[in-house]
Amino acid sequence: MQNNTDILARLDEIFEDTFIDGDYEFSVELSSDDVEEWDSLAQIRLLTAIEKEFGIKFDIAQIEDLKSVRALSEAIAQKQ
Amino acid sequence: MQDLDWLPLPPDNFKELCKDLESNQETAPIVKRLADSRLSQNQCNRLYRSIVKLSDDKLQQLQQGFDKVKLGIVSNGTTDLMVPGLFISALRRGIWIEPVIADFDQALQESQLPDSTINAARPDLVLLMLDYRAFSFASQTVAGCAEGFNAEDAIQYIDQIRQGFARHGQVNCIVPTLAVPPVNLLGSLDRRLTGSLKKQIHDFNHAITPLIAQSDDYLLDVETIAAELGTHNWFDERQWLSSRLALSDQAELFYFERLAALLAGIRGKSKKCLVLDLDNTLWGGVIGDDGMEGIILGQGHPQGEAHAQLQRYAKELKACGIILAVCSKNDEINALQPFKDHLDMVLREEDIAVFVANWNDKVSNLQHIARTLNIGIDSLVFVDDNPAEREIVRMNLPQVAVPELPSDPALYVRTLMAANYFETVNFTEEDKLRAEQYRQNSQRQKLMESATDLDSYLESLEMVAVMGSFDEMSYKRVTQLINKTNQFNLTTQRYTEAQVLEFERSSQYFCLQARLMDKFGDNGIVSVVICKKTPGQWEIDTWLMSCRVIKRRLEDLMCDEIVRQALADNATKLTGQYIPSAKNALVADLYPSLGFAQQDSGSWELDLTRYNFKSPPISIE
Repeated sequence: MQNNTDILARLDEIFEDTFIDGDYEFSVELSSDDVEEWDSLAQIRLLTAIEKEFGIKFDIAQIEDLKSVRALSEAIAQKQ
Repeated sequence: MQDLDWLPLPPDNFKELCKDLESNQETAPIVKRLADSRLSQNQCNRLYRSIVKLSDDKLQQLQQGFDKVKLGIVSNGTTDLMVPGLFISALRRGIWIEPVIADFDQALQESQLPDSTINAARPDLVLLMLDYRAFSFASQTVAGCAEGFNAEDAIQYIDQIRQGFARHGQVNCIVPTLAVPPVNLLGSLDRRLTGSLKKQIHDFNHAITPLIAQSDDYLLDVETIAAELGTHNWFDERQWLSSRLALSDQAELFYFERLAALLAGIRGKSKKCLVLDLDNTLWGGVIGDDGMEGIILGQGHPQGEAHAQLQRYAKELKACGIILAVCSKNDEINALQPFKDHLDMVLREEDIAVFVANWNDKVSNLQHIARTLNIGIDSLVFVDDNPAEREIVRMNLPQVAVPELPSDPALYVRTLMAANYFETVNFTEEDKLRAEQYRQNSQRQKLMESATDLDSYLESLEMVAVMGSFDEMSYKRVTQLINKTNQFNLTTQRYTEAQVLEFERSSQYFCLQARLMDKFGDNGIVSVVICKKTPGQWEIDTWLMSCRVIKRRLEDLMCDEIVRQALADNATKLTGQYIPSAKNALVADLYPSLGFAQQDSGSWELDLTRYNFKSPPISIE
């Protein structure tokens, strides 16, 4: 995945806009357990922002699984 | 129009400005500027959080500039994420929302219990944020449905909710029409297929519209709003199935925009005047350079038709009572020529209430227009193709609405329509005449400038007043005045139609409205007084007057009439209060100027036995 760095950089931006309280360190290891604001509704907002940014659509079955930066970046790379 | 295109983009340092809101010396103008820009959900969220985190002092100061609305919300969808978007959209329209949100899917229960979350909070309005999935017909099938009118249950359900809130919360509702989701069974037949979701929703929308029109509640036409955006964009199945979020991200922002406009309409904060630039706005080209033959306008040229379309839209708005003005950098003689002689001009000189063509800056010209019309600068919409002019006006007069215009004139009208500046909750016969009345007013202004003194000017107007109590013909207009008059308004009490009728019926109250005519035309009903009668003493509860007749001494005539009636009722004292608001400094000295004396309590009192009748030069019919 040659554009992984690019994906991560764009994800970092989206995280910064979605989780405004910012009590976390962005990395590929980050998951919903590490971010207090990252609940099931924030998940929807996060996915919507990602879809807009990357011009993709996630499937309904993926929503529950995409709860870490790693899972997100992999799913984005796959969809692109 | 899907991304609120008429709003300018936020500044590049948006995040920093949000972060430094507390330390910024200019919190209020910065908030206004940021809220007025095209923000995403996440950006709304960021700005909202910066605002609620402000220190108490700063927050209070900021709130001063807005009209507060406590809004109860019941919904059959998840509402947890919507507050920031709603709040920021309302700021854009001059409204500070305090939301009171009921638990998920509790509309009926909330309405029926006097101590429910909504009813106990005593909101100013309740928003029924219900879509088709709130109603039993969403789960009905073609197989299980009887012939005939399909939406009866749904209408009854809505009625029960409305009546519940009216009875237990004394509050009016904002009731939606329903968006039609992109459903399909048998194609076009669905429209008349008994039991099909499409037919049921259509039936509901058809039935609810006249029902709400006859009530004190307000209609939010969600069906049309969703259609504008496209229902595939409006409904997001995945969000609904996973989280019961009823609207897509994009739809939510659009919905809040329109809701906020309706709230502004209810509070009398909609725009009143469309100010148009000329060159490359009303026509293509530059009249001073290209001349009458050279400008692009009308039939035979696609761009010319686009400009003519804008003119037709303006003319239609004028017929709805919106005032038109021109603000152009031109020599007046050149600028006026097309209005007089160009065959393809839709707008004519007499359509324009104030025509300003000179080489002064547009900021002072806009101020001049507002002054001449005697309306607030915040009532103006300024349409100009030139981005530099737009930016200068935005920076210097942030209260003026300045839409971003696309570079293609073919899209001008669509952009202005999408921006929805003129949301109106009630349209009376008076409104149709309004634009004409403002034009007459600017003629009066000219006469005044030529008169030697105020009294001789007033004499020359040949004014006639018709006074009476509220009746079938007048109570709608009276209610409208009560809810939107800000400047000449001593107490700024707002009342619903039902309350207005109640005053009229009650023997405890004296109600007076006045219509003013003069040689230039009829101003319509322009002043309202409500007094509470107690033995020996009348108390002024409401006294207001439309700005269009200020400085005509109508207030003297009204005072004479109140005193006459009070004396006939054997009262000896007339009392009143001046309740200061952000906008009514105009009448701060009204009571002393009429001979009222201030009491220790701060209220004003007039000894009726010693009143000097003012007898202004207005005859009574």
